[in-house]
Amino acid sequence: MNAVRSRCVAGGCGILAVVMLVACAVTGVGVDVDGGGEVGYVGGYYQPYGYEYGGWGRDYHVGPARGNYGHDRGGEHGAPHGNVHAAPSHAPAYRPAPAGRSAPSIPGRSRGH
Amino acid sequence: MVSIHPLRRFPKIVFSALFLAACVSVAHAQFELPALNTPPSGEHHVGKIIWADLVTPDLSAAEKFYGGLFGWTFQRTHAGTSDYSVAMLDGRPIGGFFEKPIQAGQHKQPYWLTFIAVREVGAAMRVALAHGGKMVAGPRTYPQRGEQAVLSDPEGAVFAVLASSSGDPPDYLAAPGDWIWSSLMSKDAGAAAAFYQQVFGYDVFDMEAADGLEHLTLSSDDYARASVNSFSGTARRYSHWLNFVRVGNVTDAAAKAVAMGGRVLVEPRADRAGGMLAVVADPTGAPFGLMDWDASETKTEPK
Repeated sequence: MNAVRSRCVAGGCGILAVVMLVACAVTGVGVDVDGGGEVGYVGGYYQPYGYEYGGWGRDYHVGPARGNYGHDRGGEHGAPHGNVHAAPSHAPAYRPAPAGRSAPSIPGRSRGH
Repeated sequence: MVSIHPLRRFPKIVFSALFLAACVSVAHAQFELPALNTPPSGEHHVGKIIWADLVTPDLSAAEKFYGGLFGWTFQRTHAGTSDYSVAMLDGRPIGGFFEKPIQAGQHKQPYWLTFIAVREVGAAMRVALAHGGKMVAGPRTYPQRGEQAVLSDPEGAVFAVLASSSGDPPDYLAAPGDWIWSSLMSKDAGAAAAFYQQVFGYDVFDMEAADGLEHLTLSSDDYARASVNSFSGTARRYSHWLNFVRVGNVTDAAAKAVAMGGRVLVEPRADRAGGMLAVVADPTGAPFGLMDWDASETKTEPK
């Protein structure tokens, strides 16, 4: 009788261990963002080595519209003024902003105002 | 055949179960991440870049570098075997440093992860996955911060989505030392813009450029949120997000970064629309941008 009881207890513990492991997998506990060990935090992401950020020529223009700049080609791919590269001959993959709207800039309101 | 009596196995099984339970509780310990807004802003700006996390192998070195460069201060938190430091500017949390060792032989690069505001992480994930994105780390909720997940776009550029439980930061001009701009470099800027438009509902503006490359602006709430720029392909270039900090003088800030152990990746230069920008890397190699901004350069407020 004792042997049967012991088997039941032992089996119960084994099931408990399996359930806990499954719970870990289901809840994401222990998920590593890049597969390099336990992190416990979503956001601990290392980029693969080799990303190249430098080496740009003079064409590194990534900033937002400023001041009187920022005429866009809107949905028409028009050319409000010079310095415009040729409009693509095909429809863009994205939905262009409505024609006539110029590209907005970043927020200009200062804190406390 | 020798059989082991179940009672003799019992202690081992119990010990194993307890050990597993301990592991789970350590791993599950929550970070006490601060709210983005105290008090809650009550505002939501889907598509706005609202946070950045640096993952670094040396938290103290990172604090020294960024604190010296931008005047950030730090509040540390600890959970399990990890340390996390919240970067503060003028008493406001603006980013986080997550310490994680790089094992010998691992080819990993420290990186600033860009967080974009969403109302609901699950919905944003579903749209992203339906349009070619991939899940890098599934949704996780942090009590004060909100819910966040890490994704990659169809080209592999990694970003995070965050549904802030305290609302999104109001739309103010970034103070010197704060994040002011973000850019995505992509092989196919048009396709990338389409993806982010699907996920975040951006308006997309095609900016004029003389370089033959595509430069697009993503906007929401009538504010520019980020740019998407194509690059001519080279074997070592991959799509990536890059965040810029506002500084008073880009050249001086880049020189200071170098003096503190960083290096310049893109020399200070005039941007197409005026102003200066540069890209530098911190001492561990994590890249970020520097950008100046004169308050008078902001176009007419849309609201």
